[in-house]
Amino acid sequence: MRLPKFEYFEPKQISEAVSILQNEPAAKILAGGTDLLVNMKHRVERPPVLVNIKRLGDLDFIRQDNGDVRMGALTPLKRLYMTPLVMENLPGLAQAASSVGSYHHQVMGTLAGNICQQNRCMYFNQSQWWRSSRPTCFKAGGEICHVLNKKKTCYSTYCGDMAPALLVMNARIAITGPGGSRELPIEDLFSEDGKTPLRLNQAEILTEIIIPAESVTGICRYQKFANRDSIDFPIVGTAFWASEQKKEYRIAFTAVDRKPLRAQRVEAFLKGKKLDKITITEASGLAAGEAKPVKTSVYSPANKRRMMGLLFQRVVDDAKRRSIK
Amino acid sequence: MQKELNVVGARLPMLDAAQKAKGNAQFTDDLILAGMLHGKILRSPLPHAKILNIDTSKAERLPGVKGVVTGKDIPDRQYGIVPMAKDEYALAKNKVRYIGDEVAAVCAIDPEIAEEAVALIKVDYEELPAVFDPLEAKKEGAPQIHEGVKYNTSFAIKKEFGDVAKAFAECDAIFEDKFYSQAVNHAPLEPHAALAQFDPLNGQLTIWSSTQIPFFLRRNLSNTLQIPERKVRVIKPKVGGGFGQKIDLFAKDFCAAWFAMHLGKPVKFVYEREEVFISTRQRHPMYITVKTGMKKDGTILAQKFQAHADGGAYNSTAPTMIALSCFFLMIPYRVPNLFYEGYHVYTNKPVGGAMRGHGIPQARFAVERQLDMISQRLGLDPAEVRIKNSIHAGEPHPAKFIINTCGFADSVKTAADAIGWKDKRGKLPPGRGVGLAGASFPSGVSNMSHISSGAVVQVGRDGAINVLSGAADIGQGAETVISQIVAEELGVPLEDIRITAADTGITPLDPGTFGSGVTVRAGNAARLAAIAVKQKLYNFLADKLEASADDLVAKDRKIFVKGSPEKGLTFAEALKAYQYADLPMPIVGRGSWMAPATEPTTLFKENGNFAPSYSFMTQAAEVEVDLLTGRVKLLRMVTAHDCGRPINPMLVEGQLEGSVLGGMGQALYENVIVEKGQVMNPSFLDYGFPTFQEMPEIEAIEVETDDPIGPFGAKEAGEGTQLSPAPAIVNAIYDAIGIDFMELPVTPEKILDALAKKHKKEGCK
Amino acid sequence: MKRAVELKINGDTYELLVSTHATLLEVLREKLGLMGTKRGCDLGACGACTVLIDGEAYLSCLMLAVDAIGKEILTIEGLSEGGDLHPIQSAFVEKGGLQCGFCTPGMILTAKAILDQEHNPTEEVIKKKMAGNLCRCTGYKKIVEAIMSVTE
Repeated sequence: MRLPKFEYFEPKQISEAVSILQNEPAAKILAGGTDLLVNMKHRVERPPVLVNIKRLGDLDFIRQDNGDVRMGALTPLKRLYMTPLVMENLPGLAQAASSVGSYHHQVMGTLAGNICQQNRCMYFNQSQWWRSSRPTCFKAGGEICHVLNKKKTCYSTYCGDMAPALLVMNARIAITGPGGSRELPIEDLFSEDGKTPLRLNQAEILTEIIIPAESVTGICRYQKFANRDSIDFPIVGTAFWASEQKKEYRIAFTAVDRKPLRAQRVEAFLKGKKLDKITITEASGLAAGEAKPVKTSVYSPANKRRMMGLLFQRVVDDAKRRSIK
Repeated sequence: MQKELNVVGARLPMLDAAQKAKGNAQFTDDLILAGMLHGKILRSPLPHAKILNIDTSKAERLPGVKGVVTGKDIPDRQYGIVPMAKDEYALAKNKVRYIGDEVAAVCAIDPEIAEEAVALIKVDYEELPAVFDPLEAKKEGAPQIHEGVKYNTSFAIKKEFGDVAKAFAECDAIFEDKFYSQAVNHAPLEPHAALAQFDPLNGQLTIWSSTQIPFFLRRNLSNTLQIPERKVRVIKPKVGGGFGQKIDLFAKDFCAAWFAMHLGKPVKFVYEREEVFISTRQRHPMYITVKTGMKKDGTILAQKFQAHADGGAYNSTAPTMIALSCFFLMIPYRVPNLFYEGYHVYTNKPVGGAMRGHGIPQARFAVERQLDMISQRLGLDPAEVRIKNSIHAGEPHPAKFIINTCGFADSVKTAADAIGWKDKRGKLPPGRGVGLAGASFPSGVSNMSHISSGAVVQVGRDGAINVLSGAADIGQGAETVISQIVAEELGVPLEDIRITAADTGITPLDPGTFGSGVTVRAGNAARLAAIAVKQKLYNFLADKLEASADDLVAKDRKIFVKGSPEKGLTFAEALKAYQYADLPMPIVGRGSWMAPATEPTTLFKENGNFAPSYSFMTQAAEVEVDLLTGRVKLLRMVTAHDCGRPINPMLVEGQLEGSVLGGMGQALYENVIVEKGQVMNPSFLDYGFPTFQEMPEIEAIEVETDDPIGPFGAKEAGEGTQLSPAPAIVNAIYDAIGIDFMELPVTPEKILDALAKKHKKEGCK
Repeated sequence: MKRAVELKINGDTYELLVSTHATLLEVLREKLGLMGTKRGCDLGACGACTVLIDGEAYLSCLMLAVDAIGKEILTIEGLSEGGDLHPIQSAFVEKGGLQCGFCTPGMILTAKAILDQEHNPTEEVIKKKMAGNLCRCTGYKKIVEAIMSVTE
């Protein structure tokens, strides 16, 4: 399958990248390419312009700064689980990174690229010919969503592995655009709109991911359930963060909704409690109700819901084992 | 017969292994010819529709496009791998029958333009009602997929042995269960490809194709293109796996040839991965009902078997597949009274074809699962039930199969011991379990048609031994095994052999790689050819060495008088002497081999021996079920396989190991999921066959018997191994969690659903 | 849109005119005739197209050729010369770690990337890192044995 044609830029400066993006609203940013290029081969994305940001200087770093951990957008996923700073202080992030796709995807894929990956759906992630059996779906430029047979809506699912781990650590992201730079909680990046899952303004580039010092001190774990142990996107992914002193807990899920989401009811329920068996069981019942997944893959929504509860238990157990150690 | 062997029986790397490791092995898509054009096929987006009009004008006008062809341009000739079941056009005429059916093809100066052009073809369809389930398709009033095929049932087979009704009346226990086996894709790593070249001056067409059946392809191309067979030359380059999927003619072969002939330029077609999944072949989904009657002690008295195979839109191997499903109910167990009926039913779905095991794995899943279920209910040991009912070598067979050697009972014992059956079955902690299942498979085919192989061995002054064989090596190592056989006969090391294979313009006839017959059939032919060469040399040297030709032996690159290695010549000296005396007559040995069959019959109605020999095998699995997520981990798989005497144990192990993983995929991971005729997971990502990480510990044990028919006692290896991993795994799942699964694949979701149901039921009690 | 590029492949520098939307896989196979790099799925899910970029395992079907400018590209053709075999290649041959051979170049290159970075990886590590390279023939067992034998 060939890539469609596009105009190609390799800016060296971020300001240059921003101005190219400003001139072409439909341009796309190319980083690792493992998501975008597949979608382009499938013709579900046909950007007239591709801006390869890999030649931008200094977007590949991991450093600690006043207790915060700062990671460049272009940090390869593999670096995350090979860097002692991350492995020791942010093991959940390392776990998530090492569970992305296969080793090749971890080598090629970048942190920001993984965060900004396109939503997925079995009616969307298919070739142009495959999709010609049905009216073009809303996400690919048509009118209808085949998932629930509704017009002008998109139920595609967010399936990234990194996002839930970052969500539970209250990560912040830095964005550079025409109006300069801004920082926002990563939660605000996700729109909950399947068609345009990211809340980025035109010509904005995600440049940095910041884990606040407060989160670095807690425990963070990630668990993924997928068909196979490698290559696959999660059927459900769960991240868990805990501060033992404060008895504060944060939980997030991926692959269950149009965006990666924090399990707010579970968090509220757990706040101040000790993680004993009864509490965890009760919370896992709540966890299963935190999202209403729809059938965007060959895996059933009912099982996704069930797995949300079960994975929650598993990730908490994992965190408890780690904290005892 | 315990003969000292040097090359046969040795663990030798494949002849082309280093070439493959260096990336130098040339597959069809690696071939480039000067001026080559590239083709692409337009496929139907609808499951069932009349073609009203095809507008190719836009595609034709695209710069770089050299030709467009549609069904109306091509000869009115259907093809099919089984002559009696031809029902397919290279490009659809008037009607499409599944999503993926070929509608048109384009040819352009580069692949990108071809891809662009194909999207510019506009087809007007009139959609027809479609049917997606064989049981629905069989009903009165279902949409008719092929004209004249009533109830969409293109093949039916039905037969009774013994007196089934009477036998059931004498049984202590009778069980009837329903099973379903899903669609599985072969998913070879190399996508299907063809490259054709035509010489308009002499009318010679040459085609390089990723095929398992060069000679059948030659015949089918000749028929569909309406040119004489002698003008078609099929060359099989390296083939990147087949597993049965490349046992057919495909649109890419025909279209490459058609364009090459019409444009006078070489043309290449390579399928996308999606096309491999949707538009080649798959293992037939099958609904099966089995009714088995037993004596209290576990002796099988009677069995009734009914199968409905979901054929998809075309026949491909339909009659053979459904016959195999049924025939192999009579082996490896003694079933004195048997009634079987099998139906091949068209649906508007991807096409079923030959796949490793070919119709038998589905039946095996049903029967081997039910044997365990019955054993459980009767309080018997499933391993002992299998041993008790095993057929034995030499015993009379209801369908007149001739069983020369049979290591089945041994294979059950060996596999059971190796998995720790006695200590583990029913005794492992919850979630862990063991299970086993058996099977038998033909080593080639003796009846059903004239299936024979030829071989030529030619020895020249350079000392190289040239073997010509029609056998199609698709990565299993056929060329190596055949060369080992020749080397052994001629007493030379493997490196002295130069083999040319699977080129219909050069090599002798061979039916191809299917039915697990290559080693036996082509191996025997090559062996006979080598013996013929040897005899010529022996006859010539007898005088010189003052010995009888019968007393000469060939060993270590020497020919000498038996018992007196000093009394002889080196192979090179012998050749020199021969050619000086008989200048310059080439030394050529010819051989051909066909399985012994008194009266070749179709076996559809008459009884008779199916195969020259039969392999037997048992798979034993140990699984761990994650009770939280429902995931099943196959911890260990033992495969005890009676493959006669292996020509190359390393290659045999490789066959067994690969086959186990395929069987595990079928049991736990793989499923071609179809929604309204559309394949929902036509990619490696979404289809999800096992990776390194799912690999179990595999122990391959060869149960050796010395078969009198196979070359040096060899029998089938590798294909039969894929018959029973699935039931073995599902039987082990029963041992682990006490739940009987009747449908494949057993996914985590199904496990969790069943566990929940079980807990609810137990809670109610 | 075409671009004149210099690509450093197997130690040699190639001056080429490539389309910006051409993948590295397409350029290797179609422009340079380096056919050892295989196209198995073209969507990054099988590993048959693996090449090493600055020593790391990349899927050449998901990499723009223009993105490889300035990097050291190693394809299977560059791993050993003439009649020689790289130790990993020898191990695959001797241990029966290949059958049809279509996945083999990608397998060998991924294995090289792993072994160059970690001298004595465990079997578990090998399986995890190799998992993106699919094989349908061998059942993987002999491939693991081959790679492990090089670490010993």
